[in-house]
Amino acid sequence: MNYLLPSLVLVPLAASVVILLLGNNRGKAMVPVGILASIITLLLSIALVFQVHNAPSADGSGTIAPKVLFEPQALTIALPISVAKQPIQWQLILGADGISALLVLLTGIIGCFTIVLASKQIETRTAQYMALMLASISMLMGVFVSMDLVSFYVFFEAVLIPLILLINGWGNGDNPLSASRKFLLFTLAGSIPMVIGLIALAMAPAASGQPSTISFMELSKLAAENPIHGSNWVVWLLLLGFGIKLAILPLHTWLPTTYAAAHPNTTSLIASVVAKLGLYGIIRIVIPLTSHSLITEAQLLIGALGAIAIVYGALVALTKSNLREVLAYSSISHVGFITLGLMSLNTEGLSGATLQMFNHGLITASMFWILAMLEQRRGPVSMSTENQGLAGQYPKLAVLLVFFTLAGAGLPGLNGFVGELLAMAGMMRVSGTIVTIAVLGTVLGAWYALRIVQRVLFGGNGNGHHHGHHQGHHQPESSSALDLRPLEWMPLVVVAFLCLYIGVLPQRSMKLFQADTDRISKITEPAVKAAHPNTDQLVSQ
Amino acid sequence: MDTLQVIKNSAAHLSPAIALLIGGSLLMCASIFFRTGVKRDIHSQRNLFAVLSMTTLVVAVLLSFYRGTPQLDKYDVGLFRFDSGALAAERLTFLGGFILILMSWSTAPASRLSEYYGCLLVMLSAIPIVGASNDLVSLFLGLELLSIPTYVMLGIVKTDNTGAEAALKYFMLSAFASCFFLLGLSYLFGVVGSTNLLVIQGDYDNGKRLMALALLLVMCGLSFRITAVPFHFYAPDVFDGTTVTLAGVMSYLPKVAGFVALVRLIGTGGLGESASSVIIPVLLTCAAITMCVGNLLATAQNNLRRLLAYSSVAHTGYLLLALVALVRQDADANVLYSYLAAYAAMTLGMFACLGEIEAAGGNSHLIGDLTGMFYRRPAATIGLTVSLISLIGLPLTAGFWAKFMVFAGIVAENRPDSRSLFMAVLMAFNAVIAAGYYWRVLSTLFEKNAAKTPLRVFRPSLFFAYTICTVLTIVWFFVPAIMR
Repeated sequence: MNYLLPSLVLVPLAASVVILLLGNNRGKAMVPVGILASIITLLLSIALVFQVHNAPSADGSGTIAPKVLFEPQALTIALPISVAKQPIQWQLILGADGISALLVLLTGIIGCFTIVLASKQIETRTAQYMALMLASISMLMGVFVSMDLVSFYVFFEAVLIPLILLINGWGNGDNPLSASRKFLLFTLAGSIPMVIGLIALAMAPAASGQPSTISFMELSKLAAENPIHGSNWVVWLLLLGFGIKLAILPLHTWLPTTYAAAHPNTTSLIASVVAKLGLYGIIRIVIPLTSHSLITEAQLLIGALGAIAIVYGALVALTKSNLREVLAYSSISHVGFITLGLMSLNTEGLSGATLQMFNHGLITASMFWILAMLEQRRGPVSMSTENQGLAGQYPKLAVLLVFFTLAGAGLPGLNGFVGELLAMAGMMRVSGTIVTIAVLGTVLGAWYALRIVQRVLFGGNGNGHHHGHHQGHHQPESSSALDLRPLEWMPLVVVAFLCLYIGVLPQRSMKLFQADTDRISKITEPAVKAAHPNTDQLVSQ
Repeated sequence: MDTLQVIKNSAAHLSPAIALLIGGSLLMCASIFFRTGVKRDIHSQRNLFAVLSMTTLVVAVLLSFYRGTPQLDKYDVGLFRFDSGALAAERLTFLGGFILILMSWSTAPASRLSEYYGCLLVMLSAIPIVGASNDLVSLFLGLELLSIPTYVMLGIVKTDNTGAEAALKYFMLSAFASCFFLLGLSYLFGVVGSTNLLVIQGDYDNGKRLMALALLLVMCGLSFRITAVPFHFYAPDVFDGTTVTLAGVMSYLPKVAGFVALVRLIGTGGLGESASSVIIPVLLTCAAITMCVGNLLATAQNNLRRLLAYSSVAHTGYLLLALVALVRQDADANVLYSYLAAYAAMTLGMFACLGEIEAAGGNSHLIGDLTGMFYRRPAATIGLTVSLISLIGLPLTAGFWAKFMVFAGIVAENRPDSRSLFMAVLMAFNAVIAAGYYWRVLSTLFEKNAAKTPLRVFRPSLFFAYTICTVLTIVWFFVPAIMR
């Protein structure tokens, strides 16, 4: 019984409830509580990473084998009905393997820094903002540590409630109301049909006479023993739900509107962690539990969509002038690499994609934090004019922006390179055509990244243009000239060091989850070879 | 067992319904003894009648505890049968009755207090009777016991043009639906030769085509009570033309009665091959059309009452899918009862909040009237928010389990037919459409409004009503086992 897992969910949730109940008329008095809770959550997530890292490797024939578990018998919720003569029960199972631990760490880091930065960024109802932020962090932690279908789904859906309030209540872009509505409807359009898929997954054992189960461990064991398990439509329902969340290509339209409308500080959490929910769902549910249908039905299609997203996102990012939208489309483009890696279904691809989930989370959150700081000083950042020369005015900010832009563009030695390279290497063994398209995207990616640096940072002394106007809030003139305060650059520097560490020593960080991705690829790799013998094999065996 | 003994036992087990019926009748007579006109003390009269009705309800609840658990096999021959369905119908009545009496406390029409509460109690007594009926006659009488007081209620709470329109429309259409129902019952009797439901159910599989026709006619009659398309046309006009409280009554009690009657007729015991090959496609089609029409028309509404009326139509569509799962014996009847209980908590909670806003001097007729309500009436807004989130079906609310159970019932055991899958996906997309218009209401509540005058009048009864609903909505998510 590991009590770290429930406390990861309960600590931020409790803090959120306390702040909402007590902080109503107290202005900023509850802000320290929020910061403290987020720091505790970060420490807890670091503790979990160490526990998982040091735990003996779990046994079990299934593809999902968490190293730490929390399975209280007392927390069994029985529904008042029986379906197909079987009572329906939800036994809460929390657990973490390497993949979960990595994403828990990402949530901890991004959540903590987002809340710390919010104390400077958010000027109205700061404590309430933090409370909702903590509630979303709690639900996100819940998704990453749940080891049964129902908890996974409940947390997956519950994230929505605080997020729409955050987008709507603190959005300072264009029309946050309609953006939050679009976000809600798009996400629900994926996740409500997904319930049907999840129920079918849970009921599938009943077809062969076994009791239905919702535990990931049991289900993955069944799926490994009997690969043709469940119907093919299940995988489509699941991919619809997760695809919308990760903004896969034709279903991505909610993402730019949401990112353009929400406060960039909120967006940093959405882009780095919430968008990962879809990818995490694919690697946690779709690949281990429905691998057969995935390989025969959807693997190449989704992989190709990922590759197209890389190119499409980059091309659109090149044409946009609002920096928020540029970053939104660059996020679509980068998530394409992760999709690509996941859909290769082999050991390089899966581990590369998992690592890249973490990397992309760090990089994109930092970009949005920097954007928030810029907007606080200058109003909306537009790239329609060249030579804004902000580097002269904000040297510290400029250094960090250049660093994260290069990390995102995949500079060797930084973390973005490792993940994207591994993902493409994995896909190379499945389909060279898809990788060829993706490589095109990396060139375009470097182009729009350097365009940001060149237009915003360099080429002038920074005094010429005051673009737009300050939206919603008025900034005193003196603070618009200030470079980053220590509280602002310190989180960014910490994240930058992490990026550098992963970039230089990727093996060290991949040790955390390598065993878990290998366990999956051991099942899927032969199946892929059997299913697609004729795909172009550029790499000889 | 001789007939007298059966009647005596039935009476003992029907005692809660009988208590409600007697209480209602006495309250209706009470108007003779109370002073009317300008001199009377309206507040004490309001309190008195509400307390009397509440006492009757409490007596009924106590009787249901005192009576003990009925034994099933003893009463199969009589007019009534006390199985788990009958008990569930009773619990749904008590739940709804408690909230509705609280909601009526300060909103009942001042000039017709005794008639109002009398009718309400009689309506409440009708549902256990429908739920326990084991005979076509008792089933029909139970349903009429529900509709006749409804006409009176609609007529007395609002006497302007819209109120008269609502009452007349409901009366005409309800009479029309009762005719369908009776015609169906006469066919059932003609085919089987008995009015006992168990005998009729034993004969469903006799292969006669007339049986399916009879069942279809009966379902037409009941479709009116549950506001299924194409018998839904009265709902928006009635909701719009009457008071908030009575709109709450209309959204809940007839729906419960209709579904309980449907379970009684086709839900238990299996339909058999020939009848179900007709009934299940009809039910599926009706469910599909009902939820699509309800949701699409609700999307187009600016009038909150009409929106809620169409949303109630849409929920009927979901409930019909649950009924299909029940008829196929993929799920037990609790899938319906739990949904209805969750529906009571969220919809009645919503109406109670709207009622409180109106009682406090606000307006809640159009969605726009609620703009910025969070800053004017925070407590009611939080109640509305929880209800709306539950109506959308998001987790942490009872509405989530309600939808989840319908999904589980409809895709149970990986049913091979693509129809069920299609229906489940259709319901999922309907839930998304519904989320669109619920979110429109929800976001309006928090919009900034220029006129920020807080609404300060406090109505404890309405406050309790929606607090109970809100708490139930949230608690039932964590302890769904008691939601039946």
